[in-house]
Amino acid sequence: MFGFDNITAGNGWGMAVVGASIVFLGLAVLTFVISQVHKILNLWEQKDGFFNRYKKQAQIKKPKTVKAPVTIQRHLPSVKELASIYRPLVEQLKQPFDLFQLFEISNKMDLAHPHLSIKYLQEAGVLVPQGDGRFTWDKQKAN
Amino acid sequence: MFDLFYQFLSNTGYFLADYRHVIMIFVGCIFLYLGTAKKYEPLLLVPIGFGILVGNVPFFKGFGIGIYEPNSVLHYLYFGVTTGVYPSIVFLGLGAMTDFSSLLAQPKLMLLGAAAQMGIYFTLLGALFFGFLPKEAASIAIIGGADGPTSIFLTAKLAPHLIGPIAIAAYSYMALIPVIQPPIMRLLTTRKERRIKMPPGREASRKELIIFPVVAVLLCCFLAPTALPLLGMLFLGNFLKECGVVNRLANTAQSAIIDTATIFLGFTVGCSTQADVFLTPKSLGIFFLGAVAFSVATASGVIFGKIMNLFLKEKINPLLGAAGVSAVPGSAREVHLTALKEDPTNFLLMHGMACNSSGVIGSAICAGILWSFFI
Repeated sequence: MFGFDNITAGNGWGMAVVGASIVFLGLAVLTFVISQVHKILNLWEQKDGFFNRYKKQAQIKKPKTVKAPVTIQRHLPSVKELASIYRPLVEQLKQPFDLFQLFEISNKMDLAHPHLSIKYLQEAGVLVPQGDGRFTWDKQKAN
Repeated sequence: MFDLFYQFLSNTGYFLADYRHVIMIFVGCIFLYLGTAKKYEPLLLVPIGFGILVGNVPFFKGFGIGIYEPNSVLHYLYFGVTTGVYPSIVFLGLGAMTDFSSLLAQPKLMLLGAAAQMGIYFTLLGALFFGFLPKEAASIAIIGGADGPTSIFLTAKLAPHLIGPIAIAAYSYMALIPVIQPPIMRLLTTRKERRIKMPPGREASRKELIIFPVVAVLLCCFLAPTALPLLGMLFLGNFLKECGVVNRLANTAQSAIIDTATIFLGFTVGCSTQADVFLTPKSLGIFFLGAVAFSVATASGVIFGKIMNLFLKEKINPLLGAAGVSAVPGSAREVHLTALKEDPTNFLLMHGMACNSSGVIGSAICAGILWSFFI
């Protein structure tokens, strides 16, 4: 048998269409998959960073983190020591003074942690608020 | 004494030879000439050519000498062809030598490898049209994949009596790539298209290269399990190469193993072209249809490249479609040279290799699909 009859008898049309479709589909799927492999690998490699970031965020939300300044304060000198450091600076200022002025001078003197130190002195009552935004130096508490 | 001399003489090749043996020995010499002088696919044409010479030395049938005679040495060597063992081993070595990084860098080029397989299905219809039986037609059609081992593998399974002509046709056309492909490429593309430059792809990571053979073997072989003997070995070889912990095995696969298999495959296929088996009208038909298959495969790849350009922002050079046939690396080299003729600064070799690699996978899948149609 020859010609189109033989193609039909041998199921040629079906084999050609189905075969061509399968090979195209197979390679198209493989194309898609391998085009995504490097993206998946990138995500996989960044997973540690992602989880670490998540952990940090979670830690910030925890109440324990509120105690963090306390931990930092441990590295600061005691109130007496701080007062002895800051007394000469306060003596340069007119009473009462702005905390900003004290901060500026401490910055010029290159003292460590001026913000925390001033805050610490304020909490200890060495720096007394006058109600108008200015502060005075309590000599008794400083001693 | 005269009788004894005459008896000896009547058993010699000189006495038994006829014009068909002379023709085939001439063909064998052409193969050797093309392989050695022209250096067209010498690794294949030299063993095949010499095999044609050996297979066409006339002998007295019944001595247990010929490749088709049971218990002959050549028959045992031929066992690796008829069972599909040699093609599988060749694929193992091929996998160990193939670098899929260019394909991973530009996965879209894999579609050109799929498009170039259309030659197979067109030729399937053509072979049926000319009166071949369905199994014979499928075996002839696979020549369009331009992959010798795949053609031999499928023919061994579906139409073992045609292994000789189909293998010779497949390897001949692979060797004749520089003659067949360029005119088709030029005919189907404009000068402007041939000058399209493509940027180099990104660099594929080692992890990607390791993951690829695992993903590919699972995806492809789940789709066409009958392609397992070819694709399983191909991707095993590639995994050996890329995993980096079995370099000894990878080195052996890409040297000693593939070389041994290629020698026996080429030689026994050459031997199988005995004149009385080979020189038939069917063989002529196979050669004609093989040329059609190869040409249609090239053309469909190029045309699909042009179609892809209608949808892509970053245009691809449609010449690459011609490299979608799995003749590695001949067709990629031809694409590269054709592009260079138009623009000496246009380098398409690596892009061509991506299409070539996908062509190897595509033709093996096609072989599996065609085989499964007849199971």
